[in-house]
Amino acid sequence: MRSNDVLGFIFAGTLEKQIAELASSRTTASIPIGGKYRLVDFVLSNMSNSGINNVGIVAEKNFLSLTDHVGSGSAYDLSKRRSNLTLLTPYGGKGFSNYIETIYNMHGYLEHCREEYVMLDPGNIVTNFDYSPLFDFHSKKNADITLVYKNGVVPKGYNHPITIDFDENARVSRILVKPDNTDEVVNQVYGAVLLSKSLLIREIKNALSLNELDGKRLLQSITGRYRVFAYENRGYCAAISSKNDYFDFNMDLMKKEVRDELFNPKRPIYTKVRDDAPSRYGLKSKVRNSIIAQGCIIDGEVENCVISKGVYVGKGAKLSNCIVMQDSKIGNGTNLNYVIIDKDVTIKDGRALMGFDSYPIYIAKKSVV
Amino acid sequence: MFPKQEVVAMLLAGGQGSRLGVLTKKLAKPAVPFGGKYRIIDFPLSNCVNSGIEAVGILTQYQPLILNEYIGNGQPWDLDGMHSGVNCLSPYQAIKGADWYSGTANAIFQNINYIERYDPEYVVILSGDHIYKMDYNKMLDFHKGKNAACTIAVIDVPIDEASRFGILNTYDDGEIYEFDEKPEHPKSTNASMGIYIFSWKELKKYLEEDEIKEGSSHDFGKDVLPAMLAAGERMYAYPFSGYWKDVGTIDSLWEANMDLLDPNVTLDLRDIYSRNPMMPPHYVANEANVQNSLVADGCEVYGNLEFSILFAGVKIGKGATVNSSIIMPGAVIEEGANVQFAIVAENTVIGKNAKVGSTPENVDEKDAWGIAVIGANTVIPENGVVNAKEMIDSETEVASNEK
Repeated sequence: MRSNDVLGFIFAGTLEKQIAELASSRTTASIPIGGKYRLVDFVLSNMSNSGINNVGIVAEKNFLSLTDHVGSGSAYDLSKRRSNLTLLTPYGGKGFSNYIETIYNMHGYLEHCREEYVMLDPGNIVTNFDYSPLFDFHSKKNADITLVYKNGVVPKGYNHPITIDFDENARVSRILVKPDNTDEVVNQVYGAVLLSKSLLIREIKNALSLNELDGKRLLQSITGRYRVFAYENRGYCAAISSKNDYFDFNMDLMKKEVRDELFNPKRPIYTKVRDDAPSRYGLKSKVRNSIIAQGCIIDGEVENCVISKGVYVGKGAKLSNCIVMQDSKIGNGTNLNYVIIDKDVTIKDGRALMGFDSYPIYIAKKSVV
Repeated sequence: MFPKQEVVAMLLAGGQGSRLGVLTKKLAKPAVPFGGKYRIIDFPLSNCVNSGIEAVGILTQYQPLILNEYIGNGQPWDLDGMHSGVNCLSPYQAIKGADWYSGTANAIFQNINYIERYDPEYVVILSGDHIYKMDYNKMLDFHKGKNAACTIAVIDVPIDEASRFGILNTYDDGEIYEFDEKPEHPKSTNASMGIYIFSWKELKKYLEEDEIKEGSSHDFGKDVLPAMLAAGERMYAYPFSGYWKDVGTIDSLWEANMDLLDPNVTLDLRDIYSRNPMMPPHYVANEANVQNSLVADGCEVYGNLEFSILFAGVKIGKGATVNSSIIMPGAVIEEGANVQFAIVAENTVIGKNAKVGSTPENVDEKDAWGIAVIGANTVIPENGVVNAKEMIDSETEVASNEK
């Protein structure tokens, strides 16, 4: 199987109810993350770097920030004669209430694309993943369906995680939908699935004719009927399923090994470019263990923070364990600890806000504190 | 068919820039990195775009590879229009034979075809070695208002520095009556900024005349402008005020970079466009100390940084000190190294505990002090020493401070 025979199909709204605050005015896929990125940058870059030429992103609502960010796809090299990025939004009044209906409503698009295979992706995973070995694996195993899994503890935002059992040949024997999310180490499937387009459309139509609208049930029901295999993502992999996951991932970026793996220069993570100047540190600035994007002016003290593009940190301000999104202004003499500050927020001079490790405070987009 | 453009800009980018030494060994001067993420040429190019000029020809000759690659299709500057945009114009072979660009005027002469396809009224001639922001439209309005054949932008310089510049002597209304190239006793302080607007019909005539004139060096300053003045053309000086700096020497390049750290210098970089490397935001470690500096994406800072400019992807190791220096893309300063008053070019490695440059106070003789410069892709070995004012590249042997 060649990469250019695979269509990328990304769901932009995955777990949006669990990440309610961050996804209140945007899709999960367009949540700003890691100082200069949006969540979807990771999967789009991975697909592009693996040779996938054609990608569709399904978005049901709040997709203004997503359209603005991905644009024509040129930032990911997905806007050329033979490559494409398509935003798939509801039309004709048809709902996107669940995966099955969503995929069915897009069958026109799926059939129109010339690729034989589809790589489904939930769009909420931060990882630097090369799909090519997965495609080879799928061919070699003569698989009908390959599920990508991650071995580890399931992130808290997944209420009913899907886990799998498989034999020594990696053939999946059981797919389980856990009734609750415990701390045990499991093989979790987060939604990255490779299969042929015809199989997908056939099964979706079948499910609809049986009025079976649960995607997880459908996945379970086909295990016995097809050759389903499991492929492990062994690299760093953070699923963003809640505000806490979001916070933890951003803090993970302080680890050199995480940065080196995620931002491997041979497989860069692309994003929409903004013409920001390099960041400027003032005479009294004091920055420790932090990630800082371009276009910032740092005059205060910053420790264990992720500071996004165009942020201003005033004189005498003290920021610890904070995530600040683009173009927010942190006034002079402020004191902030464990705070997630969304875009275009103004924190006026002298304000103090304290959250906690397990409960970071969230300040909504464009607020004035 | 090309739609008409009122103005075409021609950017002279072919010079070697020999005064920048090792920095321009493998690249043309306009491609020299500046200000943490830019190249010098970003300034005139962004000025063009911000002034609404949509057709820009870049005249390249010396070491054009990196410049050509950087300009590419012009997309970062919005110069990738369907019928306009940016073109790199190298010397070429024609029926009559092939010629290098023998002078600035000859470079334009050889590209008359390029200019004519836009059928312009005016041509702006720019050079690629100055840092400034300017709205060329205002200058064009001035040019039109004066009904001039040629307008030259000038900046007021201190009288004691005037003899370093080309000085234009004018009447009260700005009309030029004399060119005074680097005068010993300057009569005025109007220094030419190397920015010219010509009415195209007139310029074309003088270019054609100059081309066949015997003994001409085919240079704007030496030949074309004096010829126009002698013929009584209307030539005016357009006064500009604002930040402007020639970055043609090591000292001025270093100073212009340092100016970006000076809160009193008003050079807003926000509408200067450039190609952006795909790198993550930079990281500043626990043990690092960063003050009064500019830091670009992709850097990892574990050491001490003061009054310095880091380009994309620079690494500063633990215990290393970088002071009053410019570190270009991809350079690595290893643990314990000490870099002061230096320009370190792309992908250079400064080995552990090496010492590069020094502060002016630490040098006995004033004349012996200067900015230390290290060319691209050089490796300074562990404990290596590069003295102040020294200029070295990958072919130079480096002393060591090992006991």
